[in-house]
Amino acid sequence: MQIDFSFIDFMLVGPAVALFFFSCVPLLIKVLRGNVEQNSLATLIYAFLGIVAALGFTFTMMGTERTAFDGALVFDGISSFTTVIVLLITGVALTFMRDSFSTNSRQFTEAMFLTMNSAVGMLTVVWSNDLIITFVGIELFSLCLYILIAMSLEERVSKEAAFKYFILGSFASALMLYGISFIYGTVGSTYLPDLLQATPNLLATNRLFLLGFILLISGVAFKLAVFPFHSWAPDVYQGSPTPLTGFMATGVKAVVLAFFLRLVASQAFTVERFWPFVDVLQWLTVMTILVGNIGAFRQKSLKRMLAYSSVAHSGYIMIGIIAAGIGGASMLGASGVMFYILSYSIMTLGAFGVLHVLESRADSDLTVEDLKGLANEKPWTALSMTVLLVSLTGIPPTIGFFGKFFIFSAAIKQGLTWLAVWGVIGSVISVYYYLRPVVAMYMETPTLRRDTIGMRPLSYFAISFTAFLVLLVGLAAEPFYQVVLTSVAKVF
Amino acid sequence: MLLSLLIFLPLFFAFVVALLPEKAIRPGALIMSLLHFALSCALFYRFDPHKVGLQLVERSPWVPTFGITYFVGIDGISFWLVMLSAFLTPIVVLGSWTAIAKNVRSFHICLFLLLTSTIGTFVAMDAVLFYVFFETSLIPMYFMVGVWGGANRLYATMKFFIYTMAGSLFMLIAIVALIFMTQDQFGQMSASILDFYKLQIPFVAGTVLNTQTLLFFAFALAFAIKVPMFPVHTWLPDAHVEAPTPGSVILAAIMLKMGTYGFMRFVIPMFPSATEYWAWLFMVLGVIGIVYGALVAMVQPDMKKLVAYSSVSHMGYVMLGLFALNIYGATGGLYQMLNHGVSTGALFLLVGMIYEKTHSRQIADYGGLARVAPIYSIAFLIVTFSSIAVPLTNGFVGEFLILLGSFQANPWLTAVAVTGVILGAVYMLWMVKRIFFGGDGKLIAEAHDDLDIGAREIFVLAPLVILIFWMGIFPNDFMNWSKASVNNLIDNRTHYVLSVEE
Repeated sequence: MQIDFSFIDFMLVGPAVALFFFSCVPLLIKVLRGNVEQNSLATLIYAFLGIVAALGFTFTMMGTERTAFDGALVFDGISSFTTVIVLLITGVALTFMRDSFSTNSRQFTEAMFLTMNSAVGMLTVVWSNDLIITFVGIELFSLCLYILIAMSLEERVSKEAAFKYFILGSFASALMLYGISFIYGTVGSTYLPDLLQATPNLLATNRLFLLGFILLISGVAFKLAVFPFHSWAPDVYQGSPTPLTGFMATGVKAVVLAFFLRLVASQAFTVERFWPFVDVLQWLTVMTILVGNIGAFRQKSLKRMLAYSSVAHSGYIMIGIIAAGIGGASMLGASGVMFYILSYSIMTLGAFGVLHVLESRADSDLTVEDLKGLANEKPWTALSMTVLLVSLTGIPPTIGFFGKFFIFSAAIKQGLTWLAVWGVIGSVISVYYYLRPVVAMYMETPTLRRDTIGMRPLSYFAISFTAFLVLLVGLAAEPFYQVVLTSVAKVF
Repeated sequence: MLLSLLIFLPLFFAFVVALLPEKAIRPGALIMSLLHFALSCALFYRFDPHKVGLQLVERSPWVPTFGITYFVGIDGISFWLVMLSAFLTPIVVLGSWTAIAKNVRSFHICLFLLLTSTIGTFVAMDAVLFYVFFETSLIPMYFMVGVWGGANRLYATMKFFIYTMAGSLFMLIAIVALIFMTQDQFGQMSASILDFYKLQIPFVAGTVLNTQTLLFFAFALAFAIKVPMFPVHTWLPDAHVEAPTPGSVILAAIMLKMGTYGFMRFVIPMFPSATEYWAWLFMVLGVIGIVYGALVAMVQPDMKKLVAYSSVSHMGYVMLGLFALNIYGATGGLYQMLNHGVSTGALFLLVGMIYEKTHSRQIADYGGLARVAPIYSIAFLIVTFSSIAVPLTNGFVGEFLILLGSFQANPWLTAVAVTGVILGAVYMLWMVKRIFFGGDGKLIAEAHDDLDIGAREIFVLAPLVILIFWMGIFPNDFMNWSKASVNNLIDNRTHYVLSVEE
């Protein structure tokens, strides 16, 4: 067997290599110096070097539209767009992590190593052109996340969260793997292009393939926290260190959605045999929106509130996925989903970042009460949080508005107006719980004594950056939307 | 350039206010709002009332993929609403000189942001741009009620926000549907309202589930909540009572007009068949609002709540006039929007002024105020006359035209609506009697000497009182500016076309 990889192949996987290399450096230094934790700022700088190098590779190779390593990895618009998102998320999340009480003091080097490699796993999923490689990528980032959650210095709920995530995550992986085995059995290949080509035909004729496909989508739905696979999300999100919650709530969703879009591009949803399942998927979407929003409505803990809200946002994204699917080749749906990934990532990461800078202990679990009167003490943080929450609600002129606008447009274009109406009903419910913290920050006087928190300039900078992006993309959505459109153009 | 300047100058002013030293905020804001008003007076020279089409148009792409443009223009329908917004802001700044004690800086920032979004709403000619301004206006008002409001402000501001948002999100879906319709019919996506007018939207009489009726109700719901019409008016009394005086003034005088303006700009010309078919519903709801608002106002012990319910009643007249679908009704409706802005705005200011001195809004606490505060009493009485439509005041012109128009459309409903005129006189005059005349009430008996208003308050009220008489005696000075546009709206309602004047 001739093994012949070109130089370009290595350039293409450069981002992953760079991340891995720079994540090893601080770890090696720590080991060589007798297991003494090094300056966390230096560690963070190494991480940023890795991310910058990875971004460099990504931008150099952007627009090459080719496969690498004998077709095992694919580099197209979706890949490069999601890669950039994942890298940015990683950078911002690491900035938060360095300042966090639950991650920084003893083991930031290890945390940084695991986070960076989790990002490598995410990139693998994004690039994957083969179901087995996708599976490996999902396992890589999941395992890193399990350990990261368990590493938290907070003792009460983080261990439970890690264990719960591990058990249920393994269950989802098993589902997915089981599905992949059926698919392999019927298609005779795990290679994604083969699969996509065979899907319409096999779905109509082969029941085993149908079963495999449904199992695969169930696994994906679990990772996205779509109803009825959503119940792990609030507990896990609450138990994890806040910066890490932000990282996994956004990063995992972004890459799994990219994979889902590739599956949907197979035109599976247009196969008549599959229609009952598409109907079920639509109802699950409605349930996801309702469960997420009504669940968030009832929460005291802000982290749980954001967890349920992320379930609701999964529901909105599912509207776009379905629109992309049943349209056959609907650019509108796919680009709506990609744009929503961008908007959701920015605003959710920012919101978790704000919660993180307000935490004063490793086991802080902020409630709305804790935010009372914040506007007088920390006007800038309160303003950033307001911008982010307004964007999560979907009020213009923010990125969240255009995210919803594009998704709902796609749904209406495909004749799925009723899904858009459910999305709207969800958004109206969400007004209450998203604006509740704003009420507390600006309109109520503090009832609890707030612990003084040390300055965390880098985190503040990162939060302001997300709030700024929310407004910037909200006012100038077109250039970003064009990028998204070109990125999905080749796949759909 | 002028319209964009009018929209975005207040945004710039908001940044300036953020940087001004603490002491300079109020004078600075007053000067800036006066500057803005002076600039908007340039519209009198640049706007030609004889032209039917859109004037001072500016257009540039915003999200071209969906045909969304930054498209602003002004015609006779929006002309006076823009002027009203610009005119009231300096009055509100001066009127809140002492009423707003805390967070003065943030308050004025909110005020200028509100001005940006209201003017933007009135001149936006792109549906998505309109939606953006329409929604954005909620946020400063939300803060205004929530931060500077009364005891129950948090409930009121949340209710206000959720009600308005619920309606407008369905409008967003309808806008998206219309955008795709332009793609089907003209081959190119466009969110321009002018293109929406040209759409052929299928309509089936007698059913609800047809395209035009659904779109009609999606828009109508959003605007009906904003107006507010019975039965979705319940947020209004809460918001008005809890809002600080300047908030109430802007809410009543300008933000409610966004709803009625929406009916004139979107609902009536865009969905002519559905409007014709469902006009009875809106006329009935309008009349219910008139009578119901008046009856509820009559039993209010709180003056501010009384004025708030009178708003429901007055806005009922506007809706009645608009859905009479004839020239008198429409002219009267538009005129009554301005009247309501002036007279209810003035009433809220007056209530706020006396509240500042006595800290009571209970009617029962007063009595015999006329003796202690003569100037205040005169002003209050004039505004009351305007509110109950006494001839020579602006209210008379508006209500008369509306009733004239609605009589042509539906005499029986008009007969019921006329009782509202009587009821209006009953609740207002009864309140005046109990506050200003009779024996000295609890507050007056233990009164400190200076309950009357000072020079600043006179400066605040004088322009409004002048306007009340000017608009009442020479209505043509005002109507001539909007005549051509309103005529065009009514005459060509079934095939409405609005073109851009070069």
